Amino acid sequence: MDKHLLRYPGSKQTMAIVGLLTGVQAVAILFQAIFLAKAITQMFHGESLSVAIRSFAFFFIAHFVRQLMQWGKERVAYRFAQKTSERSREQLVEKLFQLGPDAVGKHGSGNLITLTLEGIPKFRKYIELFIPRFVTMAIVPLVIVLYIWTQDKLSAITLIIVLPVLIIFLILIGLVSQKKIDDQMENYRLLSRHFVDSLRGLVTLKYLGKSKSHEKAIETVSNKYRIATNRALKYAFMSSFALDFFASLSVAIVAVELGLRLINGTVTLEPALAILILAPDYFLPVRELGNDFHATVDGQDAGEEIRSILKDDTSYEMNDVAVMPFVGATSLRAQEVTVIGDEERTLLEDVSFDIRPGEKIGIVGTSGAGKSTFIRTLAGFTTVGDGTFAIGEKQLPTLANESWQRQLSYIPQHPTIFAMSVAENIRFYAPDATLDEVKEAARTVGLYELIESFPNTWDEPIGQAGRSLSGGEEQRVALARTLLQQSNVLLFDEPTAHLDIETEHDIKQIIVPLMEEKTVFFATHRLHWMKNMDRIFVIDHGRVVQEGTYEQLLHEEGPYRALVRSQQQGVIRS
Amino acid sequence: MKQYIGEYVTPYLKKYRAMIGWTIFFGTLALLSAAMLTFTSGYLISRTSERPETILMVYVPIVAVRTFGISRSVFKYVERLLGHNAVLKMLADMRVKLYQALEPQALFIRERFKTGDLLGAVADDIEHLQDVYIRTIFPTLIGLFVFVFAAGGLATQDPLFALIMSGLMLIVAFVYPLVSLYMLKKHQTTSKRLHSQLYESFTDALFGVTDWMISGRKKTYTEQFLQEAKASDEAEKKLDYWHQSRTFQLQLITGALVIIVGCWAGLQAANGHLTPTYIAAFTLVVMPIMEALIPISHAVERVPVYEESFRRLDAVKQQTYEEFEGDVPLETIERPVISVEHVSYTYPGSERLAVDHVDLTIRPGEKIAILGRSGAGKSTLLQLILGLAKPTEGRVTIGDYESERFGTSIYDVVSVLNQKPYLFATSVANNIRLGSQEATDERIQRVVQDVQLSDYLSSLPNGLDTQMEETGQRFSGGERQRIALSRILLKDTPIVVLDEPTVGLDPATERQLLETMYDALEEKTVLHITHHLTYIEKMDRIVFMDEGRIAMIGSHEQLYATNERYRNLYELDRGL
Repeated sequence: MDKHLLRYPGSKQTMAIVGLLTGVQAVAILFQAIFLAKAITQMFHGESLSVAIRSFAFFFIAHFVRQLMQWGKERVAYRFAQKTSERSREQLVEKLFQLGPDAVGKHGSGNLITLTLEGIPKFRKYIELFIPRFVTMAIVPLVIVLYIWTQDKLSAITLIIVLPVLIIFLILIGLVSQKKIDDQMENYRLLSRHFVDSLRGLVTLKYLGKSKSHEKAIETVSNKYRIATNRALKYAFMSSFALDFFASLSVAIVAVELGLRLINGTVTLEPALAILILAPDYFLPVRELGNDFHATVDGQDAGEEIRSILKDDTSYEMNDVAVMPFVGATSLRAQEVTVIGDEERTLLEDVSFDIRPGEKIGIVGTSGAGKSTFIRTLAGFTTVGDGTFAIGEKQLPTLANESWQRQLSYIPQHPTIFAMSVAENIRFYAPDATLDEVKEAARTVGLYELIESFPNTWDEPIGQAGRSLSGGEEQRVALARTLLQQSNVLLFDEPTAHLDIETEHDIKQIIVPLMEEKTVFFATHRLHWMKNMDRIFVIDHGRVVQEGTYEQLLHEEGPYRALVRSQQQGVIRS
Repeated sequence: MKQYIGEYVTPYLKKYRAMIGWTIFFGTLALLSAAMLTFTSGYLISRTSERPETILMVYVPIVAVRTFGISRSVFKYVERLLGHNAVLKMLADMRVKLYQALEPQALFIRERFKTGDLLGAVADDIEHLQDVYIRTIFPTLIGLFVFVFAAGGLATQDPLFALIMSGLMLIVAFVYPLVSLYMLKKHQTTSKRLHSQLYESFTDALFGVTDWMISGRKKTYTEQFLQEAKASDEAEKKLDYWHQSRTFQLQLITGALVIIVGCWAGLQAANGHLTPTYIAAFTLVVMPIMEALIPISHAVERVPVYEESFRRLDAVKQQTYEEFEGDVPLETIERPVISVEHVSYTYPGSERLAVDHVDLTIRPGEKIAILGRSGAGKSTLLQLILGLAKPTEGRVTIGDYESERFGTSIYDVVSVLNQKPYLFATSVANNIRLGSQEATDERIQRVVQDVQLSDYLSSLPNGLDTQMEETGQRFSGGERQRIALSRILLKDTPIVVLDEPTVGLDPATERQLLETMYDALEEKTVLHITHHLTYIEKMDRIVFMDEGRIAMIGSHEQLYATNERYRNLYELDRGL
């Protein structure tokens, strides 16, 4: 039994209530069998129907109570399961925001989406099934077998012996089949992926002129897949076969045994019938537990994963020092800051700087040097291992600080376009902005005409649920957001590298005036931006290896010159 | 729903009727065995309580009890294996059929369906269709067969009572399933819709987690999301509560039926129509029979769940695209000239000229760069050259033949390397060999050398037999493009189109890759659609497109000397 299940608030009460209901149910099961046996015996002995009807009536009452208890158990378990899974979801979502983008990347966003939206329902299903099943398993067979013991010891012994044998068998089969299934997992995985792989690669196949002949391959692989699956299923179905086999065989054995002793006269009809009716109910809880085995395992795994994320303590503390707006006579200082990534890898090392409001800092370097980490550290999204920050007079352990973050605009290579209307997307950072302000911002970034041409103009849905935008248009939306936000500090992380050169040129005309009066950090390998910067940091292997103005770096033999050279090969010297 | 069943269910039921027949047969036998186990045990116990002279008198029922005790599980096992085998056969057929429908329209799917991973979704849909059989059709049919047997068996005893019982059983086998289907249809659709809404908003949250945090609106979001999640839970709760209540109701009906049959058997025995030893058998057999009928409700109510998968499959298949194999004598095409003569193109349903009176002649071996903003007409021009679209005005020829006459054989003349060439989940060698199945190992070695991967590949433990892993995550962007390029070199067509193959690569990788590409493609005509000006000096001509027209054309030297806009762009690109 899963220990964790007992730790959720309210789980003990739920268990107790379910236990109580199951107790009543077990007694009802006994009475149901006793009265049905009685009714049949009465009719068998030729008593009048009115006598039998009374027994039938008691049978029905017992049956009713049994089913009512069943219904009640399921309800109670469902309520508890829902409450628990709801709370887990709440904690999970809050945790994700607390962990921030780095952790989301680490756990994999696809994985987190599946966990939250599929895993939570599985977890709920697991609790909902497991509690009543488990409690039933613990109580009902025991009560039944005790009763049978009082009626006929031999039948009781048969039933008592079969159950452990059945369980041992199940475990053995489980072990053997798991091994057989594991053996062919790799092959199986490749085969099962083949079709998706083919569809996703269809365009490539087409271009290679291979798409027609690939049809044959799909057929062949599908058949191989079928054969491999069949082989695996032969083992996978074995455990439910064993369950059925033992359960129905022991009912048969009990029936025959009873028959033989009825001939000898050591038992009478009525208890024999009752035992016969009870025998399947004795096995029912095991069979149900077996049938729900997969749902149980899936849900348990999901619960495990949720708990492990909730335990993830890499989340940096948000500090709540109140930071003044980054304008006027203040400064942002970093003192020997070191940033640690996954597997203890050092991403930034000994970075120190002192920056005044309004300064524009370019950050360049080869890919993987640490440009993005630098920007994300400024936004407070990384785990700072060493060093300190200061804004004005205030010392800060990290920049994970809400009053600082609220002053930032962050423009990455692929800004997120939310599944909202275009107007809501533009006013994302400033939800109170009026439509006129939105329009004004759109005009500045050159989106006005485009949006006016949409069928629903400003209400046009974009993002996942609506119209898709080109890379340049997405960047314009992000810039319009920034305009409305009126932040003090702009963080750019490679905003134009993926755009075509003409669009890049257009976007630059928008960004340059936007940077006026603001503090800017601009990470890129498009070196033309550096002319607009006051200072340039060249980063290599997580360290700032060179620092200076554009003019200085251009005339100084060093890493910056090397970068420029590597990109200027072939320039015509006129 | 009906048309989907005609399209995706009936034909396969027909084709595999023998297998399905056996599945249903064994499934029915399994359930009947369970019923017969109870029936014969009930009889056996009643009969033995009369204390017959010798055990031989009950020998037959004893054997029967033991047989049914064993046969139930065996039949069940056989049924499951047969059923899955049949369904997997159907799925194999469906995959082929879906592929046949998709293959001709492969190049247009992304435009027609904007969704990110439509193809992945459709592939999943096919997998989900196995539930149609395993979880709906089989249990329903098996349940109905058991019903028929039960009613028939009873009819041999008492036709009138059999009729009454059939009516009562029909409540369980027909009325409840249909009512469930009708009642739950709306709830199921709502529940599904709410769930997919959740997907949307949660995906937004995770990808935009930075924005939510910086905007200080994460609380707004979490509250809203949890609210939506609760609404979705509520919808599901309604379904689950109904299931619980329905089971309760059906169990009460079962109890009532036990009493009715019991009383009937008692009366029959009292009247001498039935040997009393059968009272227990008839009374007790009601429960296993009902156990076979109760699952029908659950099977039938699932029908709306399949609808979405059907709809998506159908949407993909609806569009038919006529493919033409081409009638150009390919052997006459050796070093063809590409000639675009006064060509215009308008997309159906649009008025704008996507390509507007373009003239361009490309000599064999020429290297041409094509640039332009998104929507400038680059892709349309490419489609016209590949013969995928027919010009509304003017003509495009390759080696004197109109490009649309090449049909699917165009890819024997033109190779395309796009931004994300797909690398299949197999070995590197197999991926390269896609370029030419007949290639010898030496040739493969040579192309790998040409794309300068041989050092790297031979440093890997499995060399060319290294698996690509999941969508090629083992290899970096530059390496992946090199593998794809070697495939194209193996194919050895006179014309190669490079469709933005370097987007997303850093400048150093971009430059190195382009160097390799142009070294390897020296003999070929190259049309390079590009977004940067890296390597532009080596091109014979540069074409800038704007709003469907050629806005600038010339060699680098010409444009740099005479065109200020070009000079600006060039200096921007070079970081000057």
